[in-house]
Amino acid sequence: MLKYIAKRILVFIPTIIAISLLTFLLSLNAPGDPVENMLSGGQQGEGQLSNKLAGEQAYREKRKELGLDLPIFYFSFSNYATPDSLYKIEKSEHRKTLERLLYIYGNWDHISKYYSSLRRFEYKLLQVNKDSTNAEALIKVRGLSSQLFTIYSDTRIRLTLDELKSIFNAFNSSQEQSYRITQSRKNIDLMLSSSPELIECNAILQEIDDAYSSMKNNATRWKNYIPVMNFYGLNNQYHNWISKFVQGDFGISYQDKREVSTVIWDALRWTLMISMIAILITYLIAVPLGVNSAVHKGSKRDQIVTTSLFILYSLPTFWIATMLVMFFGGGDFYDVFPPYGLGDLGPEDPWIERFFETAYHLVLPLICLTYPTFAFLSRQSRGGMLNVLNQDYIRTARAKGLADNTVIWKHSFRNALLPIITLFANVFPHAIAGSVVLEIIFSIPGMGKVAFEAIFARNYPIVFTVVMFSAILTLVGYLVADILYAFVDPRISYGNKKA
Amino acid sequence: MSAEDTIEIKNTTSNNEVDKQQGFKAYVIRQYKKNKIALVSLYFIFALIAIALFADFIANEKPLVAKYKDNVYFPVFREYTVDLGLSEWPSDLQNIEWAELDYDFAIWPPVPYLPQNLDFSNAQSVGPFDEQRIKSLHWRHWLGTDELGRDILSGMIHGTRIALLVGVISMGIASFIGIILGALAGFLGDDRIKISRARILMCILGIFLGSFYAFGARSYILADAIAQSFGSLLVELFISLLIFALIMFIFNVLVRPLKKIPYLGEKRNLPVDMIISRTIEIIVSVPSLFLIISIVAIAKPSIFLVMTVIGATSWTGIARFIRAELLRVRNLEYIEAATALGFNNFRILMRHAIPNALSPVLIAIAFGIASSILVESILSFLGIGVPADTVTWGSLLSAARRSAQAWWLAVFPGFAIFITVTVFNLVGEGLTDALDPRKKR
Repeated sequence: MLKYIAKRILVFIPTIIAISLLTFLLSLNAPGDPVENMLSGGQQGEGQLSNKLAGEQAYREKRKELGLDLPIFYFSFSNYATPDSLYKIEKSEHRKTLERLLYIYGNWDHISKYYSSLRRFEYKLLQVNKDSTNAEALIKVRGLSSQLFTIYSDTRIRLTLDELKSIFNAFNSSQEQSYRITQSRKNIDLMLSSSPELIECNAILQEIDDAYSSMKNNATRWKNYIPVMNFYGLNNQYHNWISKFVQGDFGISYQDKREVSTVIWDALRWTLMISMIAILITYLIAVPLGVNSAVHKGSKRDQIVTTSLFILYSLPTFWIATMLVMFFGGGDFYDVFPPYGLGDLGPEDPWIERFFETAYHLVLPLICLTYPTFAFLSRQSRGGMLNVLNQDYIRTARAKGLADNTVIWKHSFRNALLPIITLFANVFPHAIAGSVVLEIIFSIPGMGKVAFEAIFARNYPIVFTVVMFSAILTLVGYLVADILYAFVDPRISYGNKKA
Repeated sequence: MSAEDTIEIKNTTSNNEVDKQQGFKAYVIRQYKKNKIALVSLYFIFALIAIALFADFIANEKPLVAKYKDNVYFPVFREYTVDLGLSEWPSDLQNIEWAELDYDFAIWPPVPYLPQNLDFSNAQSVGPFDEQRIKSLHWRHWLGTDELGRDILSGMIHGTRIALLVGVISMGIASFIGIILGALAGFLGDDRIKISRARILMCILGIFLGSFYAFGARSYILADAIAQSFGSLLVELFISLLIFALIMFIFNVLVRPLKKIPYLGEKRNLPVDMIISRTIEIIVSVPSLFLIISIVAIAKPSIFLVMTVIGATSWTGIARFIRAELLRVRNLEYIEAATALGFNNFRILMRHAIPNALSPVLIAIAFGIASSILVESILSFLGIGVPADTVTWGSLLSAARRSAQAWWLAVFPGFAIFITVTVFNLVGEGLTDALDPRKKR
């Protein structure tokens, strides 16, 4: 038996690694930049070069703190055109543009030259002093220059560069030409003549243009079609995440900067409490009901119970929840129960009041959480019981003249327990993942709601942890079910498996 | 005894023979028909299919037949031909309010609204028993309207289409994947397939290079296709798969010369069952609703994406059924006989093994359709997956959360979901009973 358990646990490990890779892969394809989300607007808007540099410094530090400056995996499978240090480019937005450019032109030397001249242009523009005469034009030029970091299609880059050039050309060309241009161009004239930095800017713009055309002229697309493998060693994002996970450090939530473990624990408490109550009610009522209905098979009562259980089983929980909230949770109908939340009593109130307040709020969610499992379990125990009652040994027991209760509870029920035990193992992980819809409808801050919101906020540390935990619990659930099987049914043995 | 009588007797005996010849299938059908509830459920499903097929004729803003300015039109039919590019609307019928026109005569569909029609005079959720501002009884909103003035009954009729489509297509995908993988796992087991080391090596190389050229090098083409539309994604995916297959083929051709090297030519067991069973375990242990939500959250909303994702995550049940069935079947005499006759594995699997294992899959499919309809309605209820302008049962039900007094928004769409799910479950139950030889009646 121990050997069997050890073997099963060993098989877990590759499965869990595969699941962790799967969730990791999903997070990579998600749009959005987590670092930017965390800094949320710290360095936005127009600013001086010092602000910009400070912002970039903050970004770099945050990125380092989150460990996002490391390579993603132990190795990468890319192409000859992509340099193995691409992950060092800080902003994910820039990185994506550069990857696109690599895909189109395939020559990193020229692309990096183009990129660095873009950066220098951006910095130089920030050094230009803003005053009333040039403000509008400067904003325009800066906007165009930051746009260049995100576009990769030839036509759009060409258009943006041309627009920038025409603005600067207004400065270079003769006076007559500049008369033709609009009011905003005049502003630029003033602006350009007023500061020496802009002359440098113009020079850099020329560099950008040169770099861009040389990038286009020396395109080496074939490099994209030669596969290359890069090895990065152990210091990578995945390794750090998984090794911390094993040690119990789940990271920090991107959204509210709390520890993931506290966020999850807060949510888990609610989910665990609610689902434990639900499971308890279920087992206490459903199993005897199923057994009873099996014993009186064919009677009116059995028919009514079976039919209503089937209907209960098929009723969608989110429909019933919506109806309950509508008809009993305030609104225009019966105002009996609070429609959502858990009450607003703080920890300073007496616990007995808090208990009743919470219990009052939990009536509707508990009904919705209980009835489907309840119906399912009753049906299963009825079916299991029926199977057993048809066996020869039950007939023998009855023929011996044993009391009905002894036959039912001692001889039949024990054997019918088998499927019910496995069901517990299945119900448990479900309870942990929480019923997403119910928690959202009743706004209970449980696991399901937290995970749902984390997915949409791209709060990946939380998503990872929830998925990993429910996966592990599911696997453990299956294992426990198999072991319980062996305990209940002596015919099952895992020791020497020779079928 | 007259001649007619003997003929009749002969007829009945031959009928019995026909019954016996049809064998298991006829037996199952007979058993199924004995179960009245299951039979009624099946007819109900046929009715739902009819509603889904003819939704445009039951609920539409256009009349079925109309005489307008001395011309007779069939506007609902006409719309199909216009959509197919076969004809065009006459200029006086373009961009008009169909309900406002002055017809000589018109035959309207029973429900004269489309789900997206906004009836401004009955906006702000008018109930079925409330006073409605309508021209005549024909224009009544029998099940009320939502806060934008959209007709609920029409939304439910057209929602049938989406619900059934989701159920059928996602289960089609699921059974395709499930049957193939489950059959391979069950039939081949861990020991039936022996392949040379050279082939293993070449296949691994082929998978690497194939995925590089088919998916890695084309990743931006695929990404752009996702952003564009589901159809273009399918086309690009097909091209990618073609490239992949081609590369795998080339590498498999290369195996032949390599086999001559003694070490590489040695045959090894391929643990097909182990690989597939592990894959199933992985998919089962990730909570499927989370998986679906995270995929749907990343991509652009599309009903086809929802179907594909549901199908791709729900094949494990079917695969398990088939695997268990084939593990049993593969050691039966008739399979051995087929092997002895020298048929290859593929033919035995396709012609002899799978057809005999399909019946339990029917049960899984019936229950699967029910659960995928449920998953889709949960997703639209949460407002993800399906584009915002598509009216589904789930999205109608979610409107009930915004207007607390509008009970009709909660009752009717939810009831439609409930009935459909129940009916498919009942058919599944009926099939389970009919296919179980122990429950002979």
